[in-house]
Amino acid sequence: MSLLEVKNLKVHFPVKQGVFSRVHAHVKAVDEVTLSVGVAETVGLVGESGCGKTTLGRAIIRLVEPTAGRVLFEGEDLTQLRGSALRSRRRKFQMVFQDPYGSLNPRMTVGQIIAEALDIHRLVDGAPARQQRVAELLRAVGLDPGHAQRYPHEFSGGQRQRIGIARALAVEPRLIVCDEPVSALDVSVQAQIINLLQDLQEQRGIAYLFIAHDLAVVEHISRRVLVMYLGKLVETADARGIIHAPKHPYTQALISAVPVVDPASKRRRIVLPGDVPSPIDPPSGCPFHPRCPVAEARCRVEVPLLREVSPGHWAACHLA
Amino acid sequence: MSLLEIRNLQLEFGIGPTALRAVNGVSLTLAAGETLCLVGESGCGKSVTALSIARLVPSPPARYVGGEILLNGKDVLRMNKADLRGIRGGVVSYVFQEPSASLNPVFRVGHQIREALKLHRPDRARAEEVVRLLKLVGIPAPELRMRDYPHQLSGGMQQRVMIAMALASEPKLLVADEPTTALDVTIQAQILDLLRDLRTRLRMSILLITHNLGIVGDLADRVAVMYAGQIVELSPATDLLQRPLHPYTLALMNSVPKLGAGAQRLTAIPGNVPSLEAMPPGCRFHPRCARARPECAREVPGLIEVEPGRWVRCPFWTQPLPARQEALG
Ligand SMILES: Nc1ncnc2c1ncn2[C@@H]1O[C@H](COP(=O)(O)OP(=O)(O)O)[C@@H](O)[C@H]1O
Ligand SMILES: Nc1ncnc2c1ncn2[C@@H]1O[C@H](COP(=O)(O)OP(=O)(O)O)[C@@H](O)[C@H]1O
Ligand SMILES: [Mg+2]
Ligand SMILES: [Mg+2]
Repeated sequence: MSLLEVKNLKVHFPVKQGVFSRVHAHVKAVDEVTLSVGVAETVGLVGESGCGKTTLGRAIIRLVEPTAGRVLFEGEDLTQLRGSALRSRRRKFQMVFQDPYGSLNPRMTVGQIIAEALDIHRLVDGAPARQQRVAELLRAVGLDPGHAQRYPHEFSGGQRQRIGIARALAVEPRLIVCDEPVSALDVSVQAQIINLLQDLQEQRGIAYLFIAHDLAVVEHISRRVLVMYLGKLVETADARGIIHAPKHPYTQALISAVPVVDPASKRRRIVLPGDVPSPIDPPSGCPFHPRCPVAEARCRVEVPLLREVSPGHWAACHLA
Repeated sequence: MSLLEIRNLQLEFGIGPTALRAVNGVSLTLAAGETLCLVGESGCGKSVTALSIARLVPSPPARYVGGEILLNGKDVLRMNKADLRGIRGGVVSYVFQEPSASLNPVFRVGHQIREALKLHRPDRARAEEVVRLLKLVGIPAPELRMRDYPHQLSGGMQQRVMIAMALASEPKLLVADEPTTALDVTIQAQILDLLRDLRTRLRMSILLITHNLGIVGDLADRVAVMYAGQIVELSPATDLLQRPLHPYTLALMNSVPKLGAGAQRLTAIPGNVPSLEAMPPGCRFHPRCARARPECAREVPGLIEVEPGRWVRCPFWTQPLPARQEALG
């Protein structure tokens, strides 16, 4: 059994317009997404901005209410849980955010930030135990336990991201949704955080849903990779398959667009025309067809479904 | 003669003992038609160096305490206002990271390009010229798009408009400060293609600031790597990417995952970039350097030409580095 199973998840946001604020349309931020994450597995989620990555991550941990679909955590449907039942399950999944600045309360010390997570779930008894656990957690993320009395602004961006990770670890989660955790960091610090996440996974058996727009980072950290476009999954396979043998023309373009360091590599670059269309009024048929270099007549009318094009490799393309 | 020659530039913020030296002895040249990439992590002084070329760093707080910036042989740091206007309007143009911050939200983009023309090429401040510029930067249906307000355009289209405005004055040098950092990778590819195309068509020099080594491989003739206000390595791009000589350049390259390289563990650089208030003595990189020796903490290394065209700020550049430099946290 997978740790997490997401089935046909939809998140549609109403769009209001005009003086009467009538709902006249919906943003299909997440549309019929199905995925699973195994115990201690890392699944990467890539796609361009606005394709629904954050909304999918937030819907999984119920920070936004799904419109339809099911989210099974260890076999239990989270979308059916309310109140205290939901709160007690919340412990098992956490989120780490892109912006370490915005996600830490500036008026609390680092020690208080981490202790708060422990207290909400009543994980420690008494001040000495709490203090000891905070120290343990700070050490686990490579920070000096002596810094528990300091405030977030006294730390660098990379250190703040470590604090965010310590807070997530405090409740011993089984799954952490990492939403672009290294995107705002300098490259030398990115590597420190990526290595830390990998070490923690090895030591604690935590699974990650790792969201990023940097394909190289996602390939590096993930066992499997999901590619999203306009709210839908368009391709999923193991990381090798996605990077070396992409089947969907969108994935192919995405990979070919990454500038590579090696000046000797003369790759063929597919430059996609135009911009990502609006998720309010997505194109008919295959949502990618207006930008697709190989689209045919039927791509404008028939919606392609995800199908297994080779063992373990799924793509939503009529031509794959 | 080079189009641009920066000699030993020294720039400080503030005065007296608390002054912070953000640029500490930067020297570089840029030939006509050449593309130079300026690479480094945030805060190392890339933007301040680039803005200095047209003296656009607000002063105060900035003070130029040494060096010269020769544009076509004339020192920008000693120019009068009229000469400065001349270079801002005809020699150097800038494109920045956030097009939405540089465009005025209340005016149509065509109007804004026309204003730029009025300023720099009054004889050509006509609608046809606006259309020609929009076409030049690959905006489809320019006659329609010029009537749009900035918010009606995507980030990629806004950046094209910014490039069109920068080109209005027919600059010899285009300074692009992280022009694709805020864009998605498929849009980034479009903008990089555009810059490459414009470079050959207009025979411009480009100073491109980026922290992405992939972009260096894609576009640069030469590359300067900055660390803590100094250039630590300056080299033809191909040589540098194939065989980096400064320990920082090598560490930077090893710390980024490479597409197609799989799950091989990354070699992080330990510690953090030093702040201007707490610059380490000696070599500024020594506390994070795998090759550091005791003398690195005492002696300030100079930038030396170790092979023709290759400059390195490390006297021990021939010494092998330890195979792996692990993160200390
Ligand atoms: N609370 C919300 N209300 C309305 N629309 C939203 C909301 N949150 C996100 N969206 C829209 O949903 C789409 C997906 O957004 P998001 O999940 O943030 O994408 P990503 O993380 O991939 O950049 C976007 O079009 C965005 O504007
Ligand atoms: N107006 C200013 N006043 C004071 N310090 C500044 C100012 N502008 C930049 N700095 C400082 O100068 C250094 C270099 O900044 P910058 O050139 O913007 O770095 P980069 O572009 O490489 O990220 C940084 O330490 C920054 O904080
Ligand atoms: Mg997001
Ligand atoms: Mg900058």
